Amino acid sequence: MNALTIALKDLRLLLRDRGQIVMLFLLPLGFILVFSAVYAAGQQMEAQAIEVPVVDLDRGGAMATLLLATLNDGRGIRTLDYDQAEAQARLADESVKLVLTIPAGFSADIAGGKRATLRLAYGPAASDSEIEAVRLVVEGVAADLSLETQLVEGLSQMGAMMGDAPEAVRTFTAQRIRAQARGQFERAKTAPLVSLAARWPDQVMEGREEFEPATFGAAGFAVMFAFLSAQVTASSIFDEKKEGTFRRLLASPVAKWELLAGKMAPNFVVALLQMVIVVGASLVLLPLTGQTPPSLGHSPLGLALIAVLVALCSTSLGVLLGALCRTESQVGGVSSLFLWVAGMVGGAFIPAFILGDFLNTIGKAVPHYWALQAFNDLTIRGLGVADILPQLGILACFAAVFMAMGLVKFRFD
Amino acid sequence: MAEPILIAQDLQKSFGDTHAVKGISLQVARGEVFGLLGPNGAGKTTTISMLTGLLEPTGGSITVDGLDLKRHTREVKAQMGLVPQELALYTTLSARQNLMFFGRIYGLKGQALRQRVDEVLEMIGLTERADDAVGDYSGGMKRRVNIGAGLLHRPRILFLDEPTVGVDPQSRNAIFESVEALNRAGMTVIYTTHYMEEAQRLCHRVAIVDEGQIIALDTPAGLIRSLGGGVVLLGVAEGTPEALTEHIGQLPAVKLVSRNDGQVKIETQRLQEALMGALDLTNRMDVRITSLEILEPNLESVFLHLTGKKLRQ
Repeated sequence: MNALTIALKDLRLLLRDRGQIVMLFLLPLGFILVFSAVYAAGQQMEAQAIEVPVVDLDRGGAMATLLLATLNDGRGIRTLDYDQAEAQARLADESVKLVLTIPAGFSADIAGGKRATLRLAYGPAASDSEIEAVRLVVEGVAADLSLETQLVEGLSQMGAMMGDAPEAVRTFTAQRIRAQARGQFERAKTAPLVSLAARWPDQVMEGREEFEPATFGAAGFAVMFAFLSAQVTASSIFDEKKEGTFRRLLASPVAKWELLAGKMAPNFVVALLQMVIVVGASLVLLPLTGQTPPSLGHSPLGLALIAVLVALCSTSLGVLLGALCRTESQVGGVSSLFLWVAGMVGGAFIPAFILGDFLNTIGKAVPHYWALQAFNDLTIRGLGVADILPQLGILACFAAVFMAMGLVKFRFD
Repeated sequence: MAEPILIAQDLQKSFGDTHAVKGISLQVARGEVFGLLGPNGAGKTTTISMLTGLLEPTGGSITVDGLDLKRHTREVKAQMGLVPQELALYTTLSARQNLMFFGRIYGLKGQALRQRVDEVLEMIGLTERADDAVGDYSGGMKRRVNIGAGLLHRPRILFLDEPTVGVDPQSRNAIFESVEALNRAGMTVIYTTHYMEEAQRLCHRVAIVDEGQIIALDTPAGLIRSLGGGVVLLGVAEGTPEALTEHIGQLPAVKLVSRNDGQVKIETQRLQEALMGALDLTNRMDVRITSLEILEPNLESVFLHLTGKKLRQ
């Protein structure tokens, strides 16, 4: 009961602090609106800028023609026709950054059900983001081609069988046709007819998902600012100690755990509210500014679990910061710097796959990274709760470690 | 001494190698105003912190109304009220909101809480400004709310830790009157200060604390008496011969004597002997006495005598 009284008092104090309200609720929205627009513009610019030299050794082949037409069909890249020698020379003198080669006999191989491999060569001038963008597009188109070809092949086989033995029609029930299609679909995924051969840095392989600016922005800043609310707890603990109210409360019949729980509960509630409000407002506000709203995936339970664990982590971190900070500048400056840097290396500002090996490795040491990975798994990759259990477990561990360290270091007097 | 409500035995507190309190023992009687007088850094606040359960003593024991503080912390704390040295209030909340919050912390609720908050606001004279933010109050008003927050639950023992620091004379007087009124109502008060006038005015008994130890404990008058001496101001009728002054000056107990119009000022180390001698002389010389005033030395001089340093050094 005392913990609740203290928590309600802290929430009341927070509501009176307009600066904090702006920082906790309005600032993240501002960041999302601005950064989503910037990311989207950047994505568009990138799409317009990527020209892909193509060496078509299957010139005139139906599949090669279809591949090139699909690649140029509003997918953010534009193919340029080169002969092989010229392409190699230009790649060598770095006047082109990458070259896609369609092998000879590509169309015939696919039509005959044989596997074919597209080759993407890139020079030192190619940036990771360009390589990644081209790779994603080509792989996507190749996968579509594989699926389409294999489905057609499978259904053709069934048609031939039906033609040869009309009595067999009865056996081709809708169920069997669906099973056949499903089998072809799975085979297209696991053993595609068309594959792309290229050597890619590991972190690029991890960034397989399509980049959605609004979803990334909403998740990144919701998580970032939920963790920033830890500073509110640290600051509140510091202020109470400085003003003497902590001392007064400790002289009352309030147990120490009640006092600490009372200080933590508002952080938990505020962090949860922040995430709900920030993501909710993004859904409403981004379309009003002509941007795509963030996607939320198909697992509300998964999102709720992420939000609860992030709020728990933030709360525990608040106690740890409150225990470690001895001066006002530490509360305001050092903890703020730590939280912003942690957010940045954790991928809240820039997607983890763009950060590079070094920062990406460091990022794994902060909870933001795991929260965003879980969020992206649900929203962008369309996965479910079971798929994000490892990330949720890691977040729970962060919360436990922060809390244990905070309690060990915490001084009530 | 009346039945003790608080007993501290050999209290000790160390912070690393620093021994802040070195074996303080005291007993406070029910209904007493007990003073802890000493300069800044003497160990008063550390002692108060241990007595209120804020700090765990390195050694010693504390019993409140028969209950051991360490074993019955919650029950004992519920009987105590602390008015800390700092203005321990939430300045963006109003006086009423602050009092409501601290009242709830002490278990008051509903109508009883609202009624008690109104009573306390009345007591500290802030009913009219009750809904203004504490941050907008004057220093004296904040001090009054600070005291009010310690009174809400009607504690049996009230600890006032330097409650008049930084307070204007008018508010200081109001605080004195509040303490006296609370004590008249039966509340035991433990009052720390480094102002000897406050201890002398308010406290029934005073413990003089220096370097973590009690170096003297008695009533203010008793402490001063232990030092001895004083000043006698003797009013004499017009026409009293100058010889009286000379004879008084020759008394062995008198250190210095002077006469200014109708008043003879006698300074002495042995007050009683000097006073008796002077009165004997006035009888024998048939001098009519118009007034008699005895000025005793104050606690400042007692502290100076005991420690060789001034209270506010």
